[in-house]
Formats: sequence, C-alpha cells, structure tokens
Amino acid sequence: MIASVLTEALGLRYPIFQGGMAWVSEANLAAAVSNAGGLGIISAMNADEEYLRAQIRKCRTLTDKPFGVNVMLMSPHVLEVARVCAEEKPAVVTTGAGLPGPYMKDWIAAGIKVIPVVPSTAMAKLVERMGAFAVIAEGGESGGHVGDLSTLTLVPQVADAVKIPVIAAGGIADGRGVAAALMLGAVGVQCGTVFLCAEECTVHENYKARVIAAKDIDTVVTGKRLGHAVRSLKTPFTRQYLEKEYDPATSGEELEALGVGALRKAAVNGDMECGCFLAGQAAAMVHAVRPAETIIREMFAQAEPLLKGAPQWVK
Amino acid sequence: MTTFETIAKLVAESKDLDVNSIKPEMTFADLGLDSLDVAELVMNMEDELGVTIEISPALKTVQDVVALVDAQKK
Repeated sequence: MIASVLTEALGLRYPIFQGGMAWVSEANLAAAVSNAGGLGIISAMNADEEYLRAQIRKCRTLTDKPFGVNVMLMSPHVLEVARVCAEEKPAVVTTGAGLPGPYMKDWIAAGIKVIPVVPSTAMAKLVERMGAFAVIAEGGESGGHVGDLSTLTLVPQVADAVKIPVIAAGGIADGRGVAAALMLGAVGVQCGTVFLCAEECTVHENYKARVIAAKDIDTVVTGKRLGHAVRSLKTPFTRQYLEKEYDPATSGEELEALGVGALRKAAVNGDMECGCFLAGQAAAMVHAVRPAETIIREMFAQAEPLLKGAPQWVK
Repeated sequence: MTTFETIAKLVAESKDLDVNSIKPEMTFADLGLDSLDVAELVMNMEDELGVTIEISPALKTVQDVVALVDAQKK
C-alpha cells in the first residue's frame, strides 16, 4: 500500500486525483474514481451554477466517498460556481487557469481543502500564502491548458519552493509515473488522460478510440499566440488551426473564434473533423477502456514493487 | 529611486520592455502580463521592496501596486 499525507488528510485509499477535464469530468466519472479509492473531480468548466449544483448532488447519490470540484477561473460563471462550491462543500476544490485569490477565503471557511493547479514556483508560493492545502504542479506534458515547464523539472522546484504538499500532474499514466512523481518530491499524482478512457467516463466513444489509437508523437500544442496554449491530439482541426495560427493575416479574434465549441464537438458529438480532442502526451500510454477501479489498482500495483526495488541502485 | 521607478524597472526587466515606456496608468493587460507573469513579478517586488503584496481583482494598474507598496512602507 502506498500512503502519504494526501491519503491520510483526505481519507483516500490511493494518493491519486482524477483531473478536472471540461466536458469529460462529470459526476459519473468522479464517483467511479472516488469509489475506487482515489479522488474524483467534477469539472465546473464554463457551465453555470445549476449545472454544477446538479452534478455535485448527482455525485453524492453515486458515492459516499470524498470528491472534488475543479473551478476554471476564466469561466464567465466563475463567481456563481465559486459560491456553489462554498455552499455545497465538496471535500476539495482544485482551480485552474489563474489565481484563485478572491474565492479562497470563502472555500476555506466552508472547510474545503483548496488545491490550485500551478505551472510555476511563484504561483505555488502565492497560493500557499493564501491558505492552499496543497498544490498540483502540472507539467506541460498534460492535456488541455499547458504551461512551459515539464513535470520532471516543475515538481522538484515547486516541492522546494513550498512547505505544503505537492501533487504531480502531466504525463503520468502508469505505475512508473507514480513512483517517479514520489521521487520528485510529490505526495501523490493527478491524472487526466488515462481516466478519459475509463469505462465510466461518458465522453463520446470516438474520443476514447482516438486516445487509444494515439502514438507518442500524436499530440500538439496550439494557441500559444493567444497566450493560452492547449495540448490536444493531432487532427484535421489542429492542422487547420495551426496553419491559421502561423498566418499573420489571421487576426487574434478570428483564431479565438475558431476554437469556440471545438472541445464540445469532440466530447459530445465525437466529431472527428471539427472536434478538438484535448489529451496529454500520456495518451500513447493508454491502451484500452477499463473501469476506473482497474486503472487505479493496476497503476499502484506497478508502482509499489518499483519503489520497493529502489535500493538496488544504491551500492 | 521612487516606488514607481523600482516597480517600472522590475516590470521592464520581466518583459524586456523599455523602462520609459511604462506609465503608472498602464494595466497588467496593457503590459502583456498574464497571471503567471503577475505572480512572478509580485514575488520579485516583494524581495526587492520588502513588502507583502496581496493579489486581488482591485490590483489592475502599475499605480495600484505603487499605492499598495507605499501604504505598507509608511
């Protein structure tokens, strides 16, 4: 058994979070992960308060284990979903795409453990000071919005920069990733792409099929020009997008408009032509659709002997 | 060096800008700073000026930061 401050503080069997993925991380998946002993997370994405409240309540009917909510700070509904979190009191709130400063006080007062996703040490230090319980140091191998640093360099630097627990994310999809994350100074991991292919994930089957078919070089980062880089699978959509991104004649507004709704087309409709299939580099390490419980159990069954075998390197 | 001059210098260094192009009324967005840049900058300012800067939505312009720092220095 692999235990850490994370399993103890949150009452988890395994120190693993399922990342908040827009249009992917809803109540079914979150509950399945929590029931399997990890921390399932519902994505509040750009949705309004009714959606989030309904998802939280649905999740409570599916599991009696702790789960979390991911608040995307650039959401047009961020104020209302932040309030819903304070009212509904999920065990954990994770945040992405910015600094959660204005909302943290209310969440902490509600007894919620706030765990922001951070792409840099400065960001980690700031949220530590604001009362974060832990941080998720997410490297650029991950899917969706990405920072520049890789997991291998970001995690140890964040672990040095703050005293609160650090959770590693980005590129982790098997027990080797888990073991390495712990060696880098993390007390647990957050995985997204591997759970996208969980049996309980309600995303369109074309999406799962694309992730499973992906090879090591099949992801690409777009949107750097707009200041919000996003990693997804290479598709006709990303090819067309990149052409426009590097064409100076395309305005920023035009580029922005091109991306609107593309993730929904992938996740809900499985649209292979116009959809944007967000996924991390770990997509190539996902080979089958499996129940969340199997995914987690096998990851940790692989990590444990690796960690136990570490003394072989020390002579 | 005034507080404004110190902050302008740090902003200029962080984004490779001409220090004379930085004006008090400019917002972080005007300067091309995203949340990641702001976090980095705030940490540098704290080290340089020996103050604590709480990032809040009210903090938008260079002058807002100057006012916050000056209030703490008094």
